[in-house]
This record gives sequence, C-alpha cells and structure tokens, in this order.
Amino acid sequence: MSTPTRFFRITLLRSAIGLPTRTSGVLKALGLHRRLKTVYHPVTQDVAGQVFAVKELVDVQEVDRALSDKEMKQLRQPDSGFYVERRAGERVMGS
Amino acid sequence: MLSRNVKRALLESRWPLPPTFLLPWAATLTTVSHATEASNIPPPLVNAGQHVSPERLERRHDQTSSNTPPAAAPTLQPANTSTPPALSESVRTLLPVLAAQGPHYITAHLYDRPYLLTAGDTVRLPFHMKNVEPGDVLRLNRASVLGSREYTLKAAAATPALKSPSMSSSLVLDETTGSLESHSMVMPEPGVSSSGSKIMPPHFVPHIAAGKVSYLDERLFVCRAVIMGVESEPLRVKEKTKRRQRKIKKVKSKHRYTILRVKEVRLRGPVSAAAREMQSGLAHKDYGIPSPPGHWSCAVRVSLSHIFAMPGPSYALKIFVMRTS
Repeated sequence: MSTPTRFFRITLLRSAIGLPTRTSGVLKALGLHRRLKTVYHPVTQDVAGQVFAVKELVDVQEVDRALSDKEMKQLRQPDSGFYVERRAGERVMGS
Repeated sequence: MLSRNVKRALLESRWPLPPTFLLPWAATLTTVSHATEASNIPPPLVNAGQHVSPERLERRHDQTSSNTPPAAAPTLQPANTSTPPALSESVRTLLPVLAAQGPHYITAHLYDRPYLLTAGDTVRLPFHMKNVEPGDVLRLNRASVLGSREYTLKAAAATPALKSPSMSSSLVLDETTGSLESHSMVMPEPGVSSSGSKIMPPHFVPHIAAGKVSYLDERLFVCRAVIMGVESEPLRVKEKTKRRQRKIKKVKSKHRYTILRVKEVRLRGPVSAAAREMQSGLAHKDYGIPSPPGHWSCAVRVSLSHIFAMPGPSYALKIFVMRTS
C-alpha cells in the first residue's frame, strides 16, 4: 500500500450525546472519543464518507503530514515566559 | 509507518533559529518568518504562523472616556529581515512619554498565565519552578501589557476562532461563456492563505487558538526577577472512602511554591536619552545582554503563542524596534 500523501485533520467540536447510536459509532470508528480531540486519517473515500456522516460535529482540514500524539502535545505546551539570566553565585557579566 | 519520515524531517530541519541566548529551550518550536510556499511548509513542530498587529499606545483618562484612536497597523514583512520594521505612529511618538512616566507596571506571562507586576513586588507562583535555586535571576520576556499611570502599551489581540478556514471562494473563468461570474469553492492549500499575502499555520488547532494572548516585542522592555526561595503549604490530608465502607484511605498533600521578587521593570527601545537616564537611575545595573550603542538587529519574531491564531485580516506581529544611531 502506498504512503498516503494527504491527510484529513479531524477535530471533534460538538458532542454526540443525544444523537443516534450510529453517529457516535462513526465517531468511535474515527477515534474521536472526546470533544476537541484531533485525529489524522488519510484522504480516502472511506474516511470522506465517515466525515460526511458527522460533518456537523467536526472541523476538517486537509494537510500534508499527520502529527503524532507526542508532537501535538509538544505544540500544546505554552512558552515558559522566562529564562535564567544569571545563576546564583556566578560572576556578573562585565565586572 | 511514518515514524522514519517524521524523524528524518525533524532531524534535518533547516529552518533558522533565533539567537539562542534570547530564547528558552521551548523556542526550538518557533521559527523565524520567511516566505513559504505550499511545498516549503516546515515540520509541524516548528511554528509557521505570522501575524500583524498594531502595538498601540492608549491614553487612559480617569475622568473622560475619550481615547486616542488606534493607529494604523504596521505592514507585514514576512521574509525581509534586513529592512527596519515600522512602528505605528502612536507608539513612536508616545513611547518616550511612557518611558518618562515612572513607575511602570507589566503584565508578564509565565507559561501563558498573566501576572501583574511592578518593581519590588513579591510573587508567590502557583507552582514549583524546577532547576532554579534561590539567587538565580530570571529574565521575563513574555508580556502583554506595559504601562504607567496614564499610558499603556499593548499588543493587539489576534482574533480567536473555532473553525479552520476550510473554504475560500475564487473566481473561475467559465470556459464556455468566458465570464467571471461563476464561483467555485475550493479548499486552500495548507500553508498558503486565501488572501495570498498572509501565511497560515500548517495546522490549525481550534481549542488552543481560543485562549491565546498576543505579546509585546521583547526588545521593548526589560523585566527581571530573582528567586527568593520556595514556600510550602500546610500539610493537608484528604480522606478517601465510600459509603458503608470502613476502610479510610488518607492521602497527604504538601505542595511547594516558588517565590520571586521583581527587581526591575523598565522600557527599552526608541526612548529619549533623558527618559533613559531617569530609568537607569532607578533600575539596578543591567546584567542582561549588552546592547550595542547605536545598532539594533532587526528581525521579525514569531512566537509559538501565535501559531494557532485565526488567519484573517489581523495577525499579531511582534516587531523589533529599529533605533537609528
């Protein structure tokens, strides 16, 4: 099987509580188990049909690369907002 | 099955990094802006988002409600780092006034959480900062607001959005009739915005884009804090049990918190010499990066916090100040 070149980036924005079981089954098949979870699937007719079945609940983008969970977690990490300029006991710069 | 390609793409990353002495380790996730095409999308770990926003100076009146109108946004120069970026008119004229009116306060962000600080404040952070010892001097370089009694310098906020821009309309030349009236809805290429002039981040994460704040240019201010020590809360015991269950499990908690003391909060940039002298008289000796007398290097800096901003008419641009010698 050739490596897929394009991926769907699917994010669940709305919950399927109260919707028919078939809809939540589609979300489970896609791997979207909670709100705001993001999954990557190759662009195929099967996946496109699944997305179409839950199109009101998800946000979809077409991207070139699929991110792994570790990469997505690293993207979520906020900037620390500081850096250590001088350690205790170090000599002052220029003096 | 993609792990080998991912690893190779990450290892042979060819995107230039900003100077490391200015950035913490997490800045490897950011990238300097450059002109990109759809094929030149950087690895997703590297930010490719760009923003434009006016850093406008507002005058606050306690009695009157009139505000100076926000100045025009500076133009975006994505790839050209050699030309001096332009400050908005109000910032250029009012920055010396702001600098002369001490003392100053700053809203510094540590891990994206805001803290309103001024020189001499003692801050008890809600977490224990690792790998630092009492006496270490920290340089806080993420700030959203910097102000004095009557003037405030802030970066314009990027508009958050929940949905990615999935559709864009483009005029299609109808081959049969030759008219431009028919429209087609096409998905935009990732990394290329529909407007053509701005650059989209390769991956849009809706829920992360929602709460992001835009920051000031870090070359406009200096904020230093020293670690005073670590404080711990009183011991608290949580009892865990269920109904009609005699066994009670006890869980102890005694969290530790880092204490900082803010040493100085001052402005840099195109402030007048008199204002600078006044500031330096009050501040401690500058232990930071020595600034050359008349030369500032210019670059357009992009921060991770803007990676997920909504691509649209407004991006927050962190611009460097060009000081003419």
